[in-house]
Amino acid sequence: MVVPILLGITFLTFMLLRIGDQDPVAMIAGPMADEAAFAEIERELGLDRPFFVQFGIYVGKLATGDLGESWQSSERVADEIRNRLPASLELLLSAVLLGALVGVPVGLRSAQRPNKLFDQVSRFVSLFGFSVPTYWIALMAIFVFFFLLGWAPPPMGRLDLASFPPPDITGSYLVDSILTGDWATARVAAGQLALPVILFSIIVAAPIIKHTRAISLEVLGSDYVRYAKSQGLRPRTVRRIALRNSITPVLTFIGTELTGLLASVSLLELIFAWGGLGQWGLNAILTGDFAAVQGYVLVLALFSVVVFVVIDVLVLLLEPRATLRP
Amino acid sequence: MTEVASTPAPERGFTWSGRALGITRRSPTFAIGLIIVGIFAFVAIFADVISPFGPIETFPHQVLLPPSAAFWFGSDGNGMDMFSRVMHGARFGFGIAVPSAIIMLVIGVPLGLVAGYKGGMVDEIVLRSMDVLRSFPSIVLALAVVAATGQSLVNVVLVIGFLDAPIFTRLVRSEVLALRSSGFVDSAVASGNPTWRILFVHLLPNAIRGSTAMIAVRMAWAVRISATLAFIGVGIQAPTPEWGAMIRQGAEFIISGEWWVALFPGVALVGIVLGFNLLGDGLQDLLDPRRKATGK
Repeated sequence: MVVPILLGITFLTFMLLRIGDQDPVAMIAGPMADEAAFAEIERELGLDRPFFVQFGIYVGKLATGDLGESWQSSERVADEIRNRLPASLELLLSAVLLGALVGVPVGLRSAQRPNKLFDQVSRFVSLFGFSVPTYWIALMAIFVFFFLLGWAPPPMGRLDLASFPPPDITGSYLVDSILTGDWATARVAAGQLALPVILFSIIVAAPIIKHTRAISLEVLGSDYVRYAKSQGLRPRTVRRIALRNSITPVLTFIGTELTGLLASVSLLELIFAWGGLGQWGLNAILTGDFAAVQGYVLVLALFSVVVFVVIDVLVLLLEPRATLRP
Repeated sequence: MTEVASTPAPERGFTWSGRALGITRRSPTFAIGLIIVGIFAFVAIFADVISPFGPIETFPHQVLLPPSAAFWFGSDGNGMDMFSRVMHGARFGFGIAVPSAIIMLVIGVPLGLVAGYKGGMVDEIVLRSMDVLRSFPSIVLALAVVAATGQSLVNVVLVIGFLDAPIFTRLVRSEVLALRSSGFVDSAVASGNPTWRILFVHLLPNAIRGSTAMIAVRMAWAVRISATLAFIGVGIQAPTPEWGAMIRQGAEFIISGEWWVALFPGVALVGIVLGFNLLGDGLQDLLDPRRKATGK
């Protein structure tokens, strides 16, 4: 099932790039180039061949793990992805973890006493998180915490100029520097991470609060919870039953959000000069860097497939009612 | 006096104000959302009348001024009045939200009805193709399509509508799945209704309920994502008074402390998106009887 989906996405992107009016040849050649130079570059990029031949060649190389070269950096796309993905994942996963740790309990509590003060406040906060654009709140936060208060370091990447990246173990500067006992670098990395992670966790938590609340409300209003209550079970026991039935849909929901978040984290990367996959992908799309766009989209699709598989397995484990569809 | 007392109390009929009051009492969220969206709609319609200057009228000697009596929201790097520009931005908000919502429904709802009712192969095919579409993060696809097909408002609207259709397919499908085996469907089948009639007359009104609130929520999303595209620099371009494009202009001034260029369009953007979201939340309260039962 995975391969056809990935192939479909690859084909769609491939087609989209070639029917679009972005022209990498003109961008490379520049305004002064003559006909011969154009033809030369076109041949070099392989864009002079028929569409399906181009696609065939691409897929053939893909099968051997060759994603082509970015014409902007002349680096192999696979290397670029390997170098940049950890930076994005570091940002994304810390924010999702923080967002879920705050969002799920808040949503559950909201549902227990609907329309009370706590619920009203948390609903408003969640709606605000839904409504506020990531990039705008990032700009405002930089203005307040960097320009006015000077608490945050300048938004210029993952480390300050005085620090060197730790040895590459997991790819996360924070984790790697802690693992190697380099506390000074760890502190710098954490400082650079703090603002973007907190900002992004607001965006992450908003839908989690909303959906956890809705799911939990539905469960609390269900017949089996009413029955459990009418049986005189202790409130704690009833809450446990409700939690048990809420957790799988909440988990599924977080899973469906993840890939979109990996994409939208690119805006924060752009503003904080993070140097991650998203920033690179955005740039590739804007400059018509075909091989890079293709690679970026493939990584996102692959990521979502992996996430869905993981979530499906978790649901099967957690939910006795779930069965594999024949 | 006695005459007045003897006349029977007038029957309480239907009045719009009474109804509005009732709705407000049942869901203040809905009322607040409606008011916010209403204000933005008013500003959008009458932007030319109420804004002090034109949206791209320049004052070459008044560049980057902080908010003042003359320029309420300050002036931007081109010496344009931010207040007038922010007000004109409301037009782009509605110009994108409404048509893209219509596209979402026209594509998404019928597919969901058919997939849920027919089940089997049809269901499988519809669901899988929707999966493919959804596994593309919408921001990336939107960005790629708009970057490739050129900078036009129509492209932005089409892409947003198309991308959100699967949400409604899924919602409607799951409702239909739950309703399929209920008594009223069985009796409709037994009395010889054709399939299209069962789908659109019997199932649609019952299955669409859950989607109503989602429409407002997705309109909020449509405004947000179109502004995001403009912020990145595709779609609508700089001197056009669109909020995302204005925040893009303001981004370069943030580090040097000229906050107003980015602040005000962002506040407007948050306002209209919050308005649509409140509307959606309120509709959910008003329409979902299950939730009201638990909300007591």
